[in-house]
Amino acid sequence: MIPLALIGKGERVEIIDLIKRGKAIFCHLRDMGLFEGKIIEVLDNQNKGLIIVKIDNSRLAIGRGMAMKIIVRRLT
Amino acid sequence: MKRLTVAVAGNPNSGKSTLINAIAGTSLQVGNWPGVTVEKKMATLKIEDLTIKLVDLPGTYSLSPYTQEEVIARDFLVKEKPDIIIDVADSTNLERNLYLTVQLLELGIPVILALNIFDEAKKKGYEFDIVKLEELLGVKVIPTVATKKDGVEDILHYIKEFAEGKSVHSPKKIKYGDDIENSLKIIEEALKTSNPSILSLYPSRWLALKILEEDQLVLKETGINEDAYFLKKAKEHFINAHEEDIESILADIRYGIASGVTREILSKREVRRSDLTERIDRVVLNRYLGIPIFLTAMWLVFKIAFDFSSPLSDWIDSTISGVVTKWSKFVLETMGTPQWLVSLATEGVIAGVGAVLVFLPVIAVMMFIITFLEGSGYMARAAFVMDRLMHYIGLHGKSFIPMLLGFGCNVPSIYATRVLETERDRKLTAMLVPLMSCGARLPVYVIFIGAFFAQNAANVLWSLYVLGILMAVLLGLFLKRTLFKGFAPVFIMELPPYRVPVLRDLMVHTWQKLKHFVVKAGTYIFAVSIIMWFLLNTPYGVEKEHSILGRIGKTISPVFAPLGFGTWEASSSLVAGLIAKEVVVSTMAQIYVDDKGENKGESEAAEVNEEGRDENLKKETEMGFFEDLKETVISFAVAVRDSFVSLFSGLGIHSLKAEEDEEQKTLQSKLKGIFSPLSAYAFLVFVLLYWPCVVVGIAMRQEFGSWKLYGQTMIIHSVLAWLVAFLIFQGGKMLGF
Repeated sequence: MIPLALIGKGERVEIIDLIKRGKAIFCHLRDMGLFEGKIIEVLDNQNKGLIIVKIDNSRLAIGRGMAMKIIVRRLT
Repeated sequence: MKRLTVAVAGNPNSGKSTLINAIAGTSLQVGNWPGVTVEKKMATLKIEDLTIKLVDLPGTYSLSPYTQEEVIARDFLVKEKPDIIIDVADSTNLERNLYLTVQLLELGIPVILALNIFDEAKKKGYEFDIVKLEELLGVKVIPTVATKKDGVEDILHYIKEFAEGKSVHSPKKIKYGDDIENSLKIIEEALKTSNPSILSLYPSRWLALKILEEDQLVLKETGINEDAYFLKKAKEHFINAHEEDIESILADIRYGIASGVTREILSKREVRRSDLTERIDRVVLNRYLGIPIFLTAMWLVFKIAFDFSSPLSDWIDSTISGVVTKWSKFVLETMGTPQWLVSLATEGVIAGVGAVLVFLPVIAVMMFIITFLEGSGYMARAAFVMDRLMHYIGLHGKSFIPMLLGFGCNVPSIYATRVLETERDRKLTAMLVPLMSCGARLPVYVIFIGAFFAQNAANVLWSLYVLGILMAVLLGLFLKRTLFKGFAPVFIMELPPYRVPVLRDLMVHTWQKLKHFVVKAGTYIFAVSIIMWFLLNTPYGVEKEHSILGRIGKTISPVFAPLGFGTWEASSSLVAGLIAKEVVVSTMAQIYVDDKGENKGESEAAEVNEEGRDENLKKETEMGFFEDLKETVISFAVAVRDSFVSLFSGLGIHSLKAEEDEEQKTLQSKLKGIFSPLSAYAFLVFVLLYWPCVVVGIAMRQEFGSWKLYGQTMIIHSVLAWLVAFLIFQGGKMLGF
């Protein structure tokens, strides 16, 4: 269990929990396809600025603050 | 005659607007959704005896109320009750797209599911069981490739069948399980007895769902209290059985359906090749290469936008103010029109038309480029690369593009704010754009710098551009904490795959914007130009000092005294600069370099000679007219050539250069007697920062629906300009300049 923001480039993870899932912006995140149980791949994480993840066939750029509140599990 | 309303819904980047363009083409009409700055596209199509009103809804991921676009889309669907919905889905990303489809089904409106980008999905090795998909969801499924117009005929054909009552598809009712179904029943029953009037306004099952979800907007609109007895009763069961909020439970069910359906009808034999988009992104978004690539791209954009369009604009300008004015004057004068009317017609009306037309090349080229950047997928990357920097002044990464274009001309930049996602970002960007020193301010700088700072020309010019940027940063920081407080821009954005933009899309969007500009902005610009003529020329024939404009200048001149230029001439020119900032110079030229004698001497002399040379003149004129016509055509050809040449020649940006001529020299020597170097610099700073020209205002009104933003901008910028010029002049004086 680790925040998405700390996952390195190229790793595949499963979303476990969205902290503050009831909040509007996280509902929007869910509408864009990011929700519990989803498996995503981190395409880019430069340890500052935005994080790019791949969900199915779409790429989302997510702010770091938000990525700290997305809890994931590493898939090995 | 049958009429159908067809709504087009779909995810952003699903190719929705390309599909709409393929269906409706140039018959599309672009406007705004009432009260907001979100673009609304509509078209009316006729197929035999059927009239179809096509309404494009904003691109959304869902029908929840979290973004302005979602609220607009669902308000339209719920309140206007279209007859059928075309749901455009990206076939390569079916699950997420079906999530929206499931929500559309809840409305009970028949749906055509367009499986768009079908060719790419095929290439990826996806196989769809279309019959089963139709069966599971109760919708008509049509594979489409919008870029090639594939499937468009099928959609129209189906709509026609639907209108004739031949359709066999009816949207499947989504089952949410016993618990929720029970709760929905309780709510529907309660509404039937307590608020039957509401039920006629909304689809009842949808309304019950939204009430159960405690959708704040729906609760507010229906006046139903969150604590209503029946709602408590409906949820009683949940509060005991589940820990989560009902909205999340419902969302899970919807996603469950979307992914279940996807699994059943889609078989992938996906070979995971390295994606082209990912390979490009590795370079374009690279930590070190990202910004250089972005800056190069932006330099190209700027060069194309302004170097390509400026020879054409110049040609329009010189044709209107030269040949067209000359011959209109001639025709009017031979008809015996009074002198003042000739002046109104040429300097007011024709100049007004010219003022509108001059903007066409730059707006066309810019719309083309912006649409290209968006269609190609690079716009989202630009936002990504610039995000950290722009965030600092409370802006989104994409704001950089309108700001940059502002250095050429602020007007298309206001239109370019469309690329931003939220109204707040659009407005804040639009408010900062006028601080980017546009091309129209350059003639003012050139005159003054030539007169006062010839030794240091480059540094002084540079300082003005930098000052503008600095002020934008400061104003951005200030506005972020005041007028635009409380909206933290949260960053989540889709990076669409790179695609080659469809030429038809580029053409349609460019054409729409031009049409819109001429019709909507044209009338205002025209009116303002005529008003300015009256200000400058009434009472007719008096010295400029006694014209209305001169008197306005005299009245307000004390305001500018502490800035070092409290003369009526300077203040009148600043007022006239409302039309366009370069008018500051031309007004000064008119005032200081006492006219070219046109109004007085010449016309008298002409009268004396008129009788005698009438015959000769006629012959000469005819010749002259064709000569001029020929010259105009040739100069157009030259302008077109120059447009292309300037694209490929050298690294410099040509439109930022300005020439000097004789008249300017005379003006400069006059100015030297009136301004000191210090007050001249204060004046330039004031011209840089004070109210943006009225065309910017008209563009703002068009984009944001009211004059309010322009009003705010005018006040804030003028106060800022006054303060900065004051500090420079008074500070400079104290330092002994």
